[in-house]
Amino acid sequence: MRTLAFVAVLACILTAPVARAEEDEAARAKRWHELAHLIFNGPQPVNLPGWITIDAPTRALDAALVPVTLTVADNRQVKSLYLVVDENPSPVAAHILFGPAADPHTITMRIRVDQYTDLHAVVETQDGRLISTARFIKAAGGCSAPGSEAPELALKSAGKMKLRFSNQPGAAHAELLIKHPNFNGMQMDQATRFYTPARYIKSIDVAYNGQRVFHLDADISMASDPAIGFGFKSDGTGTLAVQAEDTAHATWHQDFPIQPHGT
Amino acid sequence: MALKQTTCFLLLLLAAAAPPEPAGLWTGPMDGPVPATLAGATVLPTPLAAKIFISRHHALPIDVSALPKKPPNMAPGMIWLPASHQDIPGSAWLPGAGRASLAPDRAKAFLDAVARLTRNDHARFIVVYCHPNCWGSWNAAKRLVQAGYAHVAWYSGGIEGWAAADYPLQRTEPVAY
Repeated sequence: MRTLAFVAVLACILTAPVARAEEDEAARAKRWHELAHLIFNGPQPVNLPGWITIDAPTRALDAALVPVTLTVADNRQVKSLYLVVDENPSPVAAHILFGPAADPHTITMRIRVDQYTDLHAVVETQDGRLISTARFIKAAGGCSAPGSEAPELALKSAGKMKLRFSNQPGAAHAELLIKHPNFNGMQMDQATRFYTPARYIKSIDVAYNGQRVFHLDADISMASDPAIGFGFKSDGTGTLAVQAEDTAHATWHQDFPIQPHGT
Repeated sequence: MALKQTTCFLLLLLAAAAPPEPAGLWTGPMDGPVPATLAGATVLPTPLAAKIFISRHHALPIDVSALPKKPPNMAPGMIWLPASHQDIPGSAWLPGAGRASLAPDRAKAFLDAVARLTRNDHARFIVVYCHPNCWGSWNAAKRLVQAGYAHVAWYSGGIEGWAAADYPLQRTEPVAY
């Protein structure tokens, strides 16, 4: 009798977390199903291994600044990329449409994470297929975390840009940083105790010698001071032109000459 | 080690910045530095303290986090679809129960809901929480102390503190009250 009770207790202890994990997995799958139908009209993404990988910390140190790297296996077939933070209230962090000057092998960016979530990356191929992959990460509170500066101060320097690149002909990689608080409307102003109105970068365009590298549509899941790492087809000279626009219709433009030896 | 030191430092900083406890409900801004005390209640400043308190006393966790609200002036066409709420496993989610401006009938409805959840047992251990720097949980805990609950605890670290400790979260729907 006692053995039976022991076994029963043990069974409960062992199966309860498993049941909860399965339940959670089902809830996450349901959430993605609903989201995907909102984001993609028509054919839905198919989860296939080997096309794209997501690198991100399993446990983020700062939920308002989670680094994510997307790596595509065959860059010739990529037309565009989506990054979705499933459990965020506004989940589409970025849609990146590549142009002829792009080398869409690796893209890096930083996102906000509101609660434990799956990240989904979706590749749109040149022939119109949608292929997805997912990764579960743990972080919470990234959407309501206040910025590091007072709002009016942060907006003063908005639009300032920096670009760093490693210039090897044929395989250039650049890191673009745009100063912008990316207010999402869910952050409390620490001085006035009111919500800072939403105002965030909604698009970034990068061109190399007049040819599109990418057009990026972003929303409030992108972290403040958007930092985008990307590859482009460089012949070692010329100019990278960057244009950014926020939801208040402010636009910023800057040209970055490419130094022969890289800077 | 570094994390532990940072946590200690942050706790010290919080304690230093903590305002004194108001006599009744807090009627100021609901988001901001919270006191380190709550007369008549146990204060649980860390997720570990909350976890131990809940399991030792089979305490009822009550989450008073607000419902998600779409901010104004979002870009047109953006997708807004809040996911199901995640909080401490076993919690009852009573959104907004800590607002000082709660109408008397709503405040009573909150107490009625807690009475149902505790089966009218005023000796039941209860842990109230929402987010870090959230007066809502302080006020809701205060309401329960004033209503005569003998074992009220207030967990000030909130859902984010719980998640930062890597503890599991449940998905939940709000309890109507």
